[in-house]
Amino acid sequence: MNAQNAIDLTAVITTPENIQFEYRIAGPFRRLPALLLDFAIRMMCLVAIFILMMVVGATAAIPSGMIFFLILLASFALDWFYGLFFETYWNGQTPGKWLTMIQVISVDGRPINAYQATVRNFLRLADFAPMVSLEMFAADAPPAYVIPTFLVSLICMTLTSRFQRLGDLAAGTMVVVNERSWVPANVKLEDTRVVSLSEHIPANFRMSPTLAKAIALYAERRGRISIGRRTELASHLANPLLKQFNFRDDTSPDLLLCALYYRAFVSKEAFSEVKRFAPPPATDTGLTSKDTDATLLVNLMPDSLELPPPILKAPL
Amino acid sequence: MRIAELLEKRRQGWLELERMCDSFRSVKYPFANQGSLVSRFSALYRAACTDLSMAEQYQLPPATVEYLHRLVGRAHSQLYRSRQFATHRWFHYMSRVAPQSIFRDPCVKVAFIVFFGLFTLSAMISWSEVRFPGFAERILGADQIKALETNFDKPLEKNFNDYVMMSGFYIKHNTSIGLQCFALGPLILPSLCALAYNAVVLGASFGYMARSDVEQGDVFFQFVTAHGVFELTAIALSAASGLRLGIGLFATGGLRRVDSFRLNAERALPIILASVVLFFMAAFTEGFVSPSPLPYFFKACVAILSSGLLMYYFVVLGYPHPDIDREIANSEDNPWRSVGVDHATR
Repeated sequence: MNAQNAIDLTAVITTPENIQFEYRIAGPFRRLPALLLDFAIRMMCLVAIFILMMVVGATAAIPSGMIFFLILLASFALDWFYGLFFETYWNGQTPGKWLTMIQVISVDGRPINAYQATVRNFLRLADFAPMVSLEMFAADAPPAYVIPTFLVSLICMTLTSRFQRLGDLAAGTMVVVNERSWVPANVKLEDTRVVSLSEHIPANFRMSPTLAKAIALYAERRGRISIGRRTELASHLANPLLKQFNFRDDTSPDLLLCALYYRAFVSKEAFSEVKRFAPPPATDTGLTSKDTDATLLVNLMPDSLELPPPILKAPL
Repeated sequence: MRIAELLEKRRQGWLELERMCDSFRSVKYPFANQGSLVSRFSALYRAACTDLSMAEQYQLPPATVEYLHRLVGRAHSQLYRSRQFATHRWFHYMSRVAPQSIFRDPCVKVAFIVFFGLFTLSAMISWSEVRFPGFAERILGADQIKALETNFDKPLEKNFNDYVMMSGFYIKHNTSIGLQCFALGPLILPSLCALAYNAVVLGASFGYMARSDVEQGDVFFQFVTAHGVFELTAIALSAASGLRLGIGLFATGGLRRVDSFRLNAERALPIILASVVLFFMAAFTEGFVSPSPLPYFFKACVAILSSGLLMYYFVVLGYPHPDIDREIANSEDNPWRSVGVDHATR
């Protein structure tokens, strides 16, 4: 049911709709900032409560014992019930996890319940072990074992396929990335030579799915690659195709792949739209209603398609 | 393979789903009283699911597939949210399931025998000065004995302020130690060491104070009688929960090690919860009743009452009974349900 992709760090979930989708698993370095943030938030809460109680104690007629009682109780609750409370009520997220956009879920993809939140948070101390004493850093410091080394959790995460710490193992949970992904930005094929070249690709040429996938991957990433490197990468795929299509040898391999991409994914009608609409502003949601089929698909880089200087002469 | 039109048709739905996910992030109960919203959301979610499952067939570009994976993931975690804390369910768990589970747990028995055995032994050795001279002094150290004696030099008399403050301190300090015993359970030794250490030191203090030549003994027993029952039980229970957790790593009972660990964590939870509750009750008794100048008779009554309460909870409610067995046998809250079979066949 929960197949594990051995190469990518993703967990496959099967939903009640009988759909499989993947979660990206958050590793230790994704989780550490959340831990530190939570620690900082807890400390700030504690300081705030302390100051508040002192002010209340100074102004109102409340016995000082009560003030200390409340401070002690608050620090105890923050120590042991902070994560438990938030993960139960905030759908598997603490404020730190919320800020770093990670989330705790069950290994079977369901949200965690109060029981799981309790177990994984009570076991946090074991994951922090072994603790290092303050004395290691200053000889006159009190021998308090308060500095966590996280060794247990790191070893445990290394040995499990879902980066689970001990608490996660005991509760049957895992931490996944829950960030909004970028809406596929648009590859803008502004260079008309792409179109003219694509028209010369033999009409009976059928692209296999793997070839289409490879070309799409290339088109998505080429914006981040230097021109020389583009030629080098593209030529592996382009040179045999140039021969097959009887194109001139000095046709830019990059341009050929763009033309194939255009042919595979962008319709002719769509391309004509490009000229009519100005490229959409890069808004937060990425797409506006103006983004018609003209601008298609998937590129992280907005400045993606400056094509290299033309090497293409008229195709043979 | 002209997928531009197709994507365009779908994209508005994805964006709407995305916007809904964004707006839900900050809301606690996004679906409260909004049936139309739920149905719209789930329709969009199902559509995105379908798109994802058809991605191969449509030959969507990889980045779009990746986008769909994340979109579906986000929507999934919004739609299937964590179950809220159901009070009646926890009440049932604590009143029915927990005592049964604790009573039948061999780890609890082991922890109790270790703790009260060592405690009694240490108390007796420390008490019989003639046969074992210097035992208490060596265990506790001269400084701590002095501190003990000065603590109980004067008759008990404190004001309300101290009562409240001290109970706060006991809650934080003692319960933290109990929870640490549980948390360090997977490493087994820390739990057992803490248990044995507490048993020996407490036993030695009790034994020393019970000696006839120690004048502070009277005040000491005035102090410890009321809360001792709760506190000693809580210490033993917290170590038992840690032990149960650690045992799961070794005695897997035919399960995979990870599954066994998980199952035993489930079994350890009622024990540590009971222990936390007892630590809280002990803290309040220790804060308010123990240091008060009330007559010893009253404090003894508190001790007897609390013993009765514990007996009722752990023995009367915990003793195996066919009716209760039938009631909780297949409850998913019961960590001992059909011992292992269910998990092994999974």
